[in-house]
Parts: sequence; C-alpha cells; structure tokens
Amino acid sequence: MSKNFIQWVAMGALVGAMALAAYGQGQGAATRAQPKTPAGPAPKTPEGKPDFSGLWERPYVPDMTAYGRNQTPDESLPDDPKLSGRGPNAKHNKLLPFTAKGKAMWDSYDAASNGDYTGSCMPFGAVRSVNSPDPLQIMQNAKYVGFLWEQNTWFHIARFGEHTKVPTPLWFGDTTARWDGDTMVLDSTNFNGRIRLDTNGHPTSDKLHVIERYSRPDMGHINYEITIDDPEYYTRPWKNTRVFTLRPDWEIMEYSCEENNKDFFEGHIKRTQNPNAPAVSK
Amino acid sequence: MNTKLAVALAGGLLAAALPMLAHHSFAAEFDDAKKVMLQGPVAKIEWQNPHIWLYLDAKDEGGKVVRWQCEGGPPNSLTRNGWTKDALKEGDIITIDGRRAKDGTNTCNARSVKLPDGRTVFAGSADDGGSKPRAAQ
Repeated sequence: MSKNFIQWVAMGALVGAMALAAYGQGQGAATRAQPKTPAGPAPKTPEGKPDFSGLWERPYVPDMTAYGRNQTPDESLPDDPKLSGRGPNAKHNKLLPFTAKGKAMWDSYDAASNGDYTGSCMPFGAVRSVNSPDPLQIMQNAKYVGFLWEQNTWFHIARFGEHTKVPTPLWFGDTTARWDGDTMVLDSTNFNGRIRLDTNGHPTSDKLHVIERYSRPDMGHINYEITIDDPEYYTRPWKNTRVFTLRPDWEIMEYSCEENNKDFFEGHIKRTQNPNAPAVSK
Repeated sequence: MNTKLAVALAGGLLAAALPMLAHHSFAAEFDDAKKVMLQGPVAKIEWQNPHIWLYLDAKDEGGKVVRWQCEGGPPNSLTRNGWTKDALKEGDIITIDGRRAKDGTNTCNARSVKLPDGRTVFAGSADDGGSKPRAAQ
C-alpha cells in the first residue's frame, strides 16, 4: 500500500493546499483586493517584549517534509528522490530521520483503510493545529499566551515560567513559555501519543517534545520555527519554518467540525480505533 | 509529475470546492481518477462545517434522475471570500465537475460548480463571480 498511497496523499494534499492557498488568499482578486499587510515595527507589551497578539493567517502545511508557500522543511535533511513539488524547478521533499519503529508507523499509515483521528473530529493536537489552514488568534499578557485555533474551535494556553504539570497526557501537550531575547520559546511535553503531525500522517509517540520559536520582525509578520523531537520515532530532532501574516480585516469565526461531518457519519471515511496502532498486515 | 496530478491540475485545480484537507485527506475518501460531470437542479444546500454540501438531481447514462451529494469548501473560508449560501437557490441548474467517493456512492468532491452562463459559484470572490485565480505568491 503505503508508499504509493502516501505519495498520492501527498500529491492530493498538495493539490488541495495549492487551491487553498489561492482560495484563502481571496482567489480572483480583481474586485476584492486583499488588504495590504500592515507595515511598521512590531508592537511591544508593557514589559517591552514583542506582542504576538492578533489574528494570523498561516500556511496550510499538510506535509512537514515539503516546500510550499510560506513554509520550509528542514534543509539539513536529505532529499526524497521520489517526491517533489510541481513545476520544473520544484524542490524535493525531505526524508525524515525515522527510527525503525517510526518507519514502521509511517509505512503502515493508511487513512483510506484505517481512518485518521481527525476525520472524526478528535482533537488535532498542537502540531496539527499549527499546520491547519484556518486562522489563529493569539492573545498575550505577561503570564499567558493564548492560542485560539479557528479549526474546530480549540484553544491552547502557554504559561510563562515553570508550573505544576497536569498528570494526564494531553492532545495539545503542556507548554511552558520563556523569552530568548525577543524570541518567544514554547516548550511542550506530556503528549498523549495519539496525534499525527500533519495530514500526511507523520507519527508521534508520547515521548514527543515540541519546541516552537516565535519572532515578530515587523507589524505584519511572524517568523515561526517548530522543532519535532521524538526519540521513539525519529533519530534526531528536525524542524519546519513558516511565515504567518497578520489579517486585521478578519475576525475569528466559530467552526464546529462535528456539526455536519457527513464524510464520517455516513462512512465515506473510516473510523479509527487507535490512531497510532500499526495497520493490520495485508 | 504524476499523471493523475497533471489531470487534476488541468481539470480546474483552483476551483473553490477543493477540499480543506486538514481534517481528512482527499485521497482517504475520493478517487481523483473517478471524474463525474453532473448537471441538474439544486435540491438542497447545507451550509455547515466542515464542508458545505450541495445536493442535485442529475441524469445518469440511462436518463434516470438520481440524487447526488457533493462536498465543497468550508463555510468559514467561503464567507471570507464573500459567498453565502444564497449564491445558489433550490432549483438553480448547476454543473458540478467532481471526483467520486471511493465507496462508489453518489457522493463527490466538487472541483467546480458552474451556472449555465459559465460563472463559477463558491470560487474566487463573490464580487467578481469567480474570475481567474491569483498567482500564488
């Protein structure tokens, strides 16, 4: 199954992502021009730190190994000779540094046959939410950073400074925020091992450790870098970088994944029992 | 490039109703090789997340009218592009260029939705009736 299917999923995802990129940007902008991204210096908090508050448009990242608009994979990884974007100058995807277990989990991923947890509107988790196409509202003060994900109307809170960890493994992880100069660093652990990183299904375990770095070079943009460190499935940490764009013309909207998930409740996509269980051998 | 992808690109790639793939992948549900071209009156519109659904009654090869259901984009994105569910009314004749579900039901993913005068619906911006897509930045 897996290699051809995964490649096709990747291509299908790329197809959708490209459409989405144009679509979300206001396709056919002859009479509906996209507002200019605000210019000027990044705003500061009363404490003198960059303020990331705002509603942010982000690139949809269905495959963290692929190049795309406003997204770059880890360029220290080797190229995947079999997979690349479209066009004559398209760059190759990157090969992830799988452990043997991670490779087995990746090779066995088959959303068509076994479903994917997101198909039934289960919590996406932190990384998949960052990869999602819908806007993100960030609200920030000296104690907390709140991430309001329009996709499925979820939230996540990061706390500045150490705090008591909850004992329950989490979909979104437990996140501590700190400053590294003017870069906000988010360090997340205590994941429940049930999330897939992206639509293509790159696996994670409960050993997952995510480090995110947010910087705001100017009013209109966030530079974002995420590092995936999961020693169960990957032999070393690896990264992906993005650019987020401020959208002062948008307001966050409610999004209920469950309200009419026909694809799922009519059985067109499969229900998954355990997102991280390897598929039954065919 | 994979032939199927080339066909998909030729077949109106940037039309509105390509799926938001975040909550499930296209290939988990639909077969890009199973193209359907459906024409008929709109029977119903469901304007809800995670996808809008269009229902139409189209004639099959034998001339029999069958009910199809086709998913489009998510209402939030459509709303941001100026569309509402009132862009179509029950009874409007539409042509859907779609890809059929792998399970063989009369379910499709709508790649484009067109009115008889050629205007696309739920694509591009509502202001211009869906003109050429912008170049990717």
